[in-house]
Amino acid sequence: MTTSPAPRRRFTGITIPEPLARLWTLAVPLLVVWVVSLATSFVSQTAAIDLGYALANLIIVVAMWTFIGNSGVLSFGHIAFVAVGAWTLSLLTIPPNIKSAIMPDLFPFLAQASASPFVALLIAALVAGLVALLSGLALMRLNGLEAGIATFALLMLVVQILTYWKQIGPKAGQSMTGLPRSFDLQSILFIALAVIALAWLYGQSRSARMLRASRDNVQAAPASGIRVTLHRLIAFTVSGALAGIGGAVWVQLNGVAQASQFSLDFTFTTIAMLVVGGMLSMWGAVVGALAISALSHVLGLFEKGLQLGDVVVSLPSGSRLITLGAIMVIILIFRPSGITGVERRPGRSSPASLR
Amino acid sequence: MTFLQALIDATSAGAVYALAALGIGLVFGVMRLANFANGELITGAGYALILLWPVSWPLAIVASIVVAVALALFMDAAVFRWIRSQPPATLLIASFGVSILLQRVYDGVFGTNVLSAAVAPALASSVTIGGLRVNLISVVSIVLGAVLLVGMHVFLTRTRMGLQVRAASEDFRAARVLGIRAGSVIALTFALSGILAAAIAFVLTAQSGSVGPTFGVQVTLFALIGSAIGGLGRLGGSVFGGFIVGFAVSMFTTWLPDWINDFRIAFVYLLVAVVLVIAPNGLFAGRHSKERT
Repeated sequence: MTTSPAPRRRFTGITIPEPLARLWTLAVPLLVVWVVSLATSFVSQTAAIDLGYALANLIIVVAMWTFIGNSGVLSFGHIAFVAVGAWTLSLLTIPPNIKSAIMPDLFPFLAQASASPFVALLIAALVAGLVALLSGLALMRLNGLEAGIATFALLMLVVQILTYWKQIGPKAGQSMTGLPRSFDLQSILFIALAVIALAWLYGQSRSARMLRASRDNVQAAPASGIRVTLHRLIAFTVSGALAGIGGAVWVQLNGVAQASQFSLDFTFTTIAMLVVGGMLSMWGAVVGALAISALSHVLGLFEKGLQLGDVVVSLPSGSRLITLGAIMVIILIFRPSGITGVERRPGRSSPASLR
Repeated sequence: MTFLQALIDATSAGAVYALAALGIGLVFGVMRLANFANGELITGAGYALILLWPVSWPLAIVASIVVAVALALFMDAAVFRWIRSQPPATLLIASFGVSILLQRVYDGVFGTNVLSAAVAPALASSVTIGGLRVNLISVVSIVLGAVLLVGMHVFLTRTRMGLQVRAASEDFRAARVLGIRAGSVIALTFALSGILAAAIAFVLTAQSGSVGPTFGVQVTLFALIGSAIGGLGRLGGSVFGGFIVGFAVSMFTTWLPDWINDFRIAFVYLLVAVVLVIAPNGLFAGRHSKERT
């Protein structure tokens, strides 16, 4: 890190010990997510439904930050892990009789497998993490930018396999239905808080610190004996597992799992959340996910037609993604480090750049 | 004999992807932008061809080139010009945003359904050359690809403007210091990528006869991935990478047995993964690659 060492921080005259100050970066996101969720669930029924999706997206964006934020390497492939998590949870929680009806070609062990929702969630994380580890072995050998582009290939590969492989899912073009609603809003909130805590814990680890050092100076870090590829792989695996949790939560909210849902649009929405919030801190990921979800909720209301006084204002469908695209581009032009990002100070090399 | 036919088809597919990779590689060389929105240039030109071909074919061809070039210049002026000094990853994200935004705009303007019209129906027939039945469109795309690749090579190595573009892609800052006008060189490369996009749109619409909002996404994705495995820093590398991916798509489509043919695209991506394991820095790693880790 290029920042000067600051073992103790002064805050209104009181000296706060460093561990406590660091805990602050965990406590604030947790508290904000909890308060926002509590407040939103009282607003309206549609707001409560959208809140569930907002929390699922929040988990996915925090998972993406775990890799992108710490390593400085782009990934457009995280929706692949979301898809793997979603698929795993679906196969484990859909009742066997429905499974055999809609997916007759399933592998026998998958046809019989079932697990309680929380166990299924853990298995989803494990499987997604494993896929991330295996794909990372190939991807993380690439240079930063090329790795980012190659993650597109990962996403497409996973979507193709889930679409066509009858032994692990429905026939091409069909969807998995009959997914029970296993988590209520409260448990989703706790899952989200747990994921934030896990991502933060990873961020405090020695491996994550070395990774951030390589992000800030890619020449100096290997020269200091940091094995960049190894630490990128670890981050990729952790973040893939967390994204799998996000996918599991998302799919049981959605009630239906279809391979085509894990598309470039989904990738774009989550990347936009990360970029708008600021991709170098977890706080940025949280703020971005919440802000874009709120905006998306309001635009969704307008797309259905919203009564404002005497006039009904309605936007054409699709304006949500157009607005999101425009906002992202504007943020990148005027505030490339995101709304939470620190502006570059002249005369000091800024770590706030992504290679 | 069928093998030779398949080889010709695969070469023609490879030529199209190589053109797409060339457009991406040109822009990347000068301003480190891996332009995902290149696909929407292809889509825009495709719409122009489909909508105007029934009216008049010369008009449709001219219009497709004008639309793609204008759109490319507009992208540069509206977005990329302002973030030129940002790192390549930021540029890539921005182009991804521009791409999704334009797809939704096409949705809104032309509807989500595909528009159809017969573009260059004469090319749909096949000719027999020495016992080989070959699709005319395959021949046209190989010839078009070869002419544009050679033309681009001549332009870049023989003309004054081309030399400026190459100088700028070697070392942008030094080129500026030596008096090359950055704005016009960048605008020129964007315009060239627009012309290439129009050529790709012509071949693809002649093959499929229809255009939808995500018409250009697939070829761009393949070309980008091809460029990445070929080595983005070097023009020849990205063109070759694009060609390989297009060639592989066509070959897998022809030769994979029925029970596994659904997975042809998956196999292409697997091939990409294998190449990455063998040659982690790309097949033809440019000299910039080390700096950009």
